[in-house]
Amino acid sequence: MVHALEEIWRLIKLDGVMVNILPVPEGYSIEVHHDGRIFFAERTRDTLSEDVLQAEAAIKQVLDQGLFIIDQEDEFDFRTYGSSVSEVRAYWEEQNAYEEEPKAEEMLAREETLYAQVEQLLDELGEGAEVAIHERVRIARLSPVK
Amino acid sequence: MTTRSDPENNEIRALFDLVDFSGGSVLEIGCGDGRLTRRYAEAAAYVTGIDPFEQAIRRAKANQPDSLRSQVEFHHIDFEDFAAARESDMFDITILSWSL
Repeated sequence: MVHALEEIWRLIKLDGVMVNILPVPEGYSIEVHHDGRIFFAERTRDTLSEDVLQAEAAIKQVLDQGLFIIDQEDEFDFRTYGSSVSEVRAYWEEQNAYEEEPKAEEMLAREETLYAQVEQLLDELGEGAEVAIHERVRIARLSPVK
Repeated sequence: MTTRSDPENNEIRALFDLVDFSGGSVLEIGCGDGRLTRRYAEAAAYVTGIDPFEQAIRRAKANQPDSLRSQVEFHHIDFEDFAAARESDMFDITILSWSL
């Protein structure tokens, strides 16, 4: 990761910027929405994501090396909605096809339980109910120091 | 029904709050199916989107509106291979799109 950031530093013009968009290490929540209200919201993990922690460490390293400085940072909520659990799960699996960190058995079991609860709630709420994956995301603008 | 990502536009709002794209050449690393690319490309001079996931790049090309074809190109390639073949100081803006 650090090598990739060093290469980005090389490719950016002197007055250019790098934008890093990365979810927070706490992971994502599964939610059920209906009529503008949230009926269910549970995090899928208690631990922090190793992938995200490694990415954050790589950023810290190039900051320490003096290759970049952070100009501005912010956070936002990012939700992906679907009308069924299968739809959202298929989307999620595709988006994370390149994830390096294998999911722990415990986390997989917890997700299965959550999705079963969500299925039941969607049935109970009926038409218009949606399942959402909710991620909290950090965005930062960094300038190269050349 | 298909999935809807960020219908609230929180991501693109946060991006535009941080970056002035006008006249800029952009490299988006991890562009996937071009979901984010399509939202800002019009504001940039030129965008190069890369992703190692071939299926996603195929979709990015297929979903590209005609109005953006002259200013956006998508490539199925790893960043390291892409960077190795490029000169220094080429891009005004580099976006690491959920990809570090």
